[in-house]
Amino acid sequence: MKKKSGGTEVMHALEEAGGARSGVARAVSGQTGVPEATLYGVSTFYTLLAKPDVELRICQGTSCALAGAFEHIAEARANGVKVEAVSCLGQCDRAPAALDARLEPVIWGGEGHVLPADPELPIDLGGADTAEWSALEKAKRIGAEAVIDEIRAAGLQGRGGAGFPAHIKWSGVRSQAETERYVVVNADEGEPGTFKDREVMLRRPHRMLEGLAIAAWAVGAKVAWIYIRGEFQACRRALERALAEAKPDLEVRFYDGHGAYICGEETALLESLEGKRGMPRLKPPFPTEAGLFGKPTLIHNVETLACVPAIVERGGDWFRGLGRTEAGSKLYCISGHVEKPGVYELPIGVTLEELVQHAGGYVGTPKAFSPGGASSGFLPMAFRDTPLDFKSLQAAGSMLGSAGVVVLNDSVDMAEAARWGQVFFEDETCGQCAPCRIGCSLQRQSIDRYLADRDAEHLAHVGVVHGEMDEGSICGLGMTASLPLLSAMKHFPGDFV
Amino acid sequence: MKVIIDGEAVDFELGETVLEVAQRVGRSIPTLCHEKRLDPVGACRMCLVEVQGQRRLQPSCTWKATEGAVITTQSQRIDTHRQVLLSMYVADHAVDDQGLPKQRGVGNQLRDQVLEYGTGPQLPQLPLRRAVREHDANPYIHFDAEACVLCAACVRYCDEVEAVNAIALVERGGRTTIGTADQQGLLDSSCELCGGCIAVCPTGAMTERPSLGIPPAPEPIRSTCNFCGVGCQVDLHVTDGRLTRVTSPPPGTTVNDGNLCVKGRFASEFVHHPDRLQTPMVRRNGVLEPTTWEDALQTAAKGLLGVKRRHGADALGFVSSSRCTGEENYLMQKLARAAFGTNNCHQCAAT
Ligand SMILES: Cc1cc2nc3c(=O)[nH]c(=O)nc-3n(C[C@H](O)[C@H](O)[C@H](O)COP(=O)(O)O)c2cc1C
Ligand code: SF4
Repeated sequence: MKKKSGGTEVMHALEEAGGARSGVARAVSGQTGVPEATLYGVSTFYTLLAKPDVELRICQGTSCALAGAFEHIAEARANGVKVEAVSCLGQCDRAPAALDARLEPVIWGGEGHVLPADPELPIDLGGADTAEWSALEKAKRIGAEAVIDEIRAAGLQGRGGAGFPAHIKWSGVRSQAETERYVVVNADEGEPGTFKDREVMLRRPHRMLEGLAIAAWAVGAKVAWIYIRGEFQACRRALERALAEAKPDLEVRFYDGHGAYICGEETALLESLEGKRGMPRLKPPFPTEAGLFGKPTLIHNVETLACVPAIVERGGDWFRGLGRTEAGSKLYCISGHVEKPGVYELPIGVTLEELVQHAGGYVGTPKAFSPGGASSGFLPMAFRDTPLDFKSLQAAGSMLGSAGVVVLNDSVDMAEAARWGQVFFEDETCGQCAPCRIGCSLQRQSIDRYLADRDAEHLAHVGVVHGEMDEGSICGLGMTASLPLLSAMKHFPGDFV
Repeated sequence: MKVIIDGEAVDFELGETVLEVAQRVGRSIPTLCHEKRLDPVGACRMCLVEVQGQRRLQPSCTWKATEGAVITTQSQRIDTHRQVLLSMYVADHAVDDQGLPKQRGVGNQLRDQVLEYGTGPQLPQLPLRRAVREHDANPYIHFDAEACVLCAACVRYCDEVEAVNAIALVERGGRTTIGTADQQGLLDSSCELCGGCIAVCPTGAMTERPSLGIPPAPEPIRSTCNFCGVGCQVDLHVTDGRLTRVTSPPPGTTVNDGNLCVKGRFASEFVHHPDRLQTPMVRRNGVLEPTTWEDALQTAAKGLLGVKRRHGADALGFVSSSRCTGEENYLMQKLARAAFGTNNCHQCAAT
């Protein structure tokens, strides 16, 4: 009997052998027992495997587009370089960004900023990162139940985008009858405008790893997986160094992503980890009940875990009190038309105005901002004083998501900016369900046709199509994929006349 | 145990899905990716229903019926969802002069559903983004990417029923298509050309190459496949006196449960072949002549008895065809042993 998937080894084997190159599927099938067609289906799903010969990958995310990425792409092409325009590389603060053939960053922009060291900040990106791990000791002293109580008291909401209360997932996994359990770190940061997890892993790897160790211990998991964006080689090195220093009593395994934004969605991530195409699963069952290889699994974003040590150390109430409109502090990424793009750890509920002050002010006259990555669409400056939190932004028809804030000034045509967002979603939909697969293409086609002749007829069905993508899609990608275009049309009618 | 379907309390068995229960009590719920023999995947999104307490519509093909659950299969919300979704499918599909999904192969359920449930606004057509294997020289299975809705029933059938895995979903997003390793032709893959992918395809994107463009016969003739002793039932599609296509009766109705092999489905050229034997023949003075069954059997019996008289019974050997059934094989060995007195008997499929 043939195996449906080769498990966690398959992707690595495909990468080593040359991805979607001819003959690779057959060779790897021989090694792994996975059918060759299935393997070819896997290779062609992941950008990094599908195109193994690319020499230069230039980011076409919003911030990089604003910083001249398309000129760089044209230039490289003219020079005969095998160049590929790719989805956001998570380097928006250093835009425009690119990766060389070895996936190491080529940076044309400046360095990103963080706040100076401050021991009152839970993650404290500017602080010294040490292998002390005193919070883990304290956790073991007070016991798992008490730790989960502190997480509940802290009001810690998932930082990956959905804002789901962390303690519910911890209790959920802990209470399963099955004792083989996993913790998975979602380090696949891919939402355009977002680069906070990258900074956490580079600057505070111990924070995240200690949070991971506490979580694993509290839910009774002996193995942890870190699913890390393949483009984040430097982060992986930082984490490996930190692990070697701390030598935790936990088996930590790394898994490189291979270029698919959708694998940030937790169940697509699990499929990918199992060596398959990263297509989201139907929920329920939720991963807490049936996750990796069908076992109870706690999945958390890098930032969520990095909040845990301080919560255990200083108490849940302390963390909750750091927030202004909701619980805790938050890593806000800011890029685009601001002076000092970077990651700023601020109370949840700060406004755009305050955030931009930290980021050195606007460049030019601001026109629009995207508060939480491409999936959050655009808001006009009338919302500059709206608290950047989960509830307020939802009420504004947008979302905090991953808090990847991008500012656009009045040099930008919002119809053009909307197009960048729709290109992103058309490139990144997994294609499994029809509303999203077909809808993403229809929306991108509509804005392209509109830009070609400025005839508003082309936009007549954007709303209806969005309605069905929201109603019928399997996962969050399809539900929000029309927002760049829809919100631009709603808030910037002047750019659509 | 009862589940409430559109206000009606309906008995169900543990493990039954909402789709199964609803269909049992006569609700019409459209599906594209659903196929009884395959694990449900909830991907085509046609079968979504309202489940009380759930904010989102849920796929009835995967949602299990539970005690007291309140399900709605008919509502304005569901109508709108279905109609807009059908508009989107049509925008991504080959259409005919009337803008309807093209009819091909043994039918197009997408077309049927558009006609039954109606569509939302007419959306601009999308260009074809799915790759086809143009160089695929296999004689039997044709893949028409323009008519594919990516329900992946073919891929799942090839995996879950046949365990052959010749085809898979390849590429991503709108470029996703049904492909093979390196997009080689089916003859260079593990494909056994059973054509089950054709049988499970809801839209006719997978079709029989020899019958391309020929519509199914309205009343196919039920017969038994003559290629082996299994006795698979076949439906013979006859158009203008010629056999144009062989399909299996629906799953769950006959011994072959909807399946056929490459011979049963495709190897029917012999039916109209000029060399086909149509009457018994006897060779006299080195020349084959048509004759009656009576004469042919008498001639054979005489010859066999002659060998036995001259050389003894063990000079005879009896080999039966792999096309014979168990009963026929039994009769054949009985003939060898009881009538002719030799144990020299064999069945060609036994080696
Ligand atoms: C399309 C899509 C993309 C996502 N991408 C990411 C991502 O890159 N990183 C991440 O941590 N969560 C991402 N998520 C959210 C995850 O599904 C999941 O909610 C999260 O990893 C849970 O961790 P948390 O509770 O710590 O936030 C994404 C969700 C969707 C629907
Ligand atoms: S909504 Fe889009 S990304 Fe999510 S499962 Fe469906 S096709 Fe895939």
